[in-house]
Amino acid sequence: MNDILPALFHMLVFPGGLFAVAAGLLLKGLDRRVEARLQRRVGPPLLQPVFDLIKLAGKETLIPATANRAAFLTAPLIGFTGMAVCAALIPVSGAYSGLAGMGDMLVLFYLLPLPAIALMVGGSASSSPFGALGFSREMCLMLAYEIPLLAVLLAVAMRVGAAVGGGAELSLSAVAAHQIAHGQFIADPVMWPAFIAYLLFLPGTMGVPPFDVPEAETEIIEGPLLEYSGPALGFFHLTSALKSVVVLGLGVAMFFPAPVPGGAFVNVLWFLCKCAGLMLVSLTVVKSATGRFRVDQAFTFYLRYPAPLALASLILVWQGA
Amino acid sequence: MKKLIATLSARSPWLYRINAGSCNGCDVELLTTACIPRYDVERLGCKYCGSPRHADIVLITGPLTARVKDKVLRVWDEIPEPKVTVAVGICPVSGGVFRGGYSIEGPLDKYLPIDINVPGCPPRPQAIIEGVIKARDVWRARIGG
Amino acid sequence: MFGFLKILAANVAKGPSTDPFPFVESPAPKRFRGKVRLNPALCVGCAICRHVCAGGAIHIAGRPDGSGYDFTLWHNTCALCGLCGHYCPTGAISMSSDWHSAHPQTEKYDWCERHFVPFLACEGCGEHIRPLPSALTGRIYADNDVDEAHLARLCPQCRQLETALHLGRNGHEDHKRA
Repeated sequence: MNDILPALFHMLVFPGGLFAVAAGLLLKGLDRRVEARLQRRVGPPLLQPVFDLIKLAGKETLIPATANRAAFLTAPLIGFTGMAVCAALIPVSGAYSGLAGMGDMLVLFYLLPLPAIALMVGGSASSSPFGALGFSREMCLMLAYEIPLLAVLLAVAMRVGAAVGGGAELSLSAVAAHQIAHGQFIADPVMWPAFIAYLLFLPGTMGVPPFDVPEAETEIIEGPLLEYSGPALGFFHLTSALKSVVVLGLGVAMFFPAPVPGGAFVNVLWFLCKCAGLMLVSLTVVKSATGRFRVDQAFTFYLRYPAPLALASLILVWQGA
Repeated sequence: MKKLIATLSARSPWLYRINAGSCNGCDVELLTTACIPRYDVERLGCKYCGSPRHADIVLITGPLTARVKDKVLRVWDEIPEPKVTVAVGICPVSGGVFRGGYSIEGPLDKYLPIDINVPGCPPRPQAIIEGVIKARDVWRARIGG
Repeated sequence: MFGFLKILAANVAKGPSTDPFPFVESPAPKRFRGKVRLNPALCVGCAICRHVCAGGAIHIAGRPDGSGYDFTLWHNTCALCGLCGHYCPTGAISMSSDWHSAHPQTEKYDWCERHFVPFLACEGCGEHIRPLPSALTGRIYADNDVDEAHLARLCPQCRQLETALHLGRNGHEDHKRA
């Protein structure tokens, strides 16, 4: 019982749940604003994602007559709960060390595809042909970007494991603690290919251009999201905001987790700054300057560039370079 | 409280366009307001969405030709309440230069409750933005602001 | 390959190029064709504007009591082509630079340019006619020494008679020169 209460707190308030939602929405707002600036526009206010959610909460939810009601309505919740749990696993150096556990990197690897799976379930349950198209595209893309992610996670785990005595260290808090003690991986040439692979993985998993093939609104009119409206659509947006915190926080924890001197509050801000920096480099700049890949182009891109890069890191680590 | 929610909601009007047999002049102007940095509608929280299910403000262009009438009415029905309908260009408002043609079923307000008219052939992008702002005010009043 | 970064950096440096319109008034460019305006003092009711109007936006109807005619232009079907202004012989119709056209549905049928142009009794026979605007008489009788103001208030028949009498008394200008 004494273990459950703090765990619940971490999942629902900090850093999962409320904190992650707020951080994710802020990051999204910042993303849209910076993107507008990069395109010589003014852009929406910083709190625009919040307004969008309030608006969506007050709209009507329409369910297509031929849809599978239960699956259609639970799909948004699957992704949301998955990401809320994920957010509790992300260590915020200097403020929070992650839920205690042996293999939270493995858990993360299994939970990360949940939003994509939710999209697939929702898309196919909506009985819309565009949803089915989105399903197949999302599936295809997911198969491609999970390979570099797995290789990056393994490279990081084995790099830490090699230093502490063989094997792989799959605890994210231990990974962060090791880097704080022995230097961050972003300064480690062996890990550079893995870092670049992770940067390339981010736009794919967040579904932003040029990898927004599953939700291409000009081709397959938002694919799986086509039939969603009102609060259900809001949940997908929330999930996306949470997911951005999770994947960016994971990147921060794996490559540059070092805290700054100061209290927990300062470190939370520092963590957010690092997330924002990572987001600007890997998502905002990329999406404001690119068009959209075809499905096959996106698929082969991941097999051609990030996967070999991540594997190169993995092999270097394995060889003990 | 309700008023606050209405005010905040009205800062996120998502736009959806329906072409009811338009000559594409008005559609190009809509595209201009959407895509050109000069008339950045995202400042107002607007977003052009691909799916009618996501829309709050519907912009309809074209004189409602006989071929497209049923489809337009059906797509319009797919948009969740509360919604605001804006007729862009003279064609949906009155039939414009096509008025009285054998294939024209318009004007649009015979079939749909229009809230705002933005006449012009085509209207200036600024006029469309003005129409969106007026539609937003109508929408805010409708959800209780 | 990374040329786009240069463009993005330049974009950030240059700042937004957005027209601040909804917050600041946006003036129309020169020669912009906005809402059509009629100057009723110049209109002679020739109805060439109605004839050339592509959208059928112009309606001209005489009052049954003969007191004048109503000019109505419905902006909601005006295609802003400018033909009416181009063909107007007196320059009564012009395109303004007013582009504010958004209006609620309740005002749809009030979105008009409405004018009543009154008739006057002919000084010769007393029939109700539209007097010629001075801009037009000035052009017609530019080289003739006639009482323009009086001629303007005559109906076409009386004016014809009056002009013929005038020429008979004084001889035609061309005759004098020859």
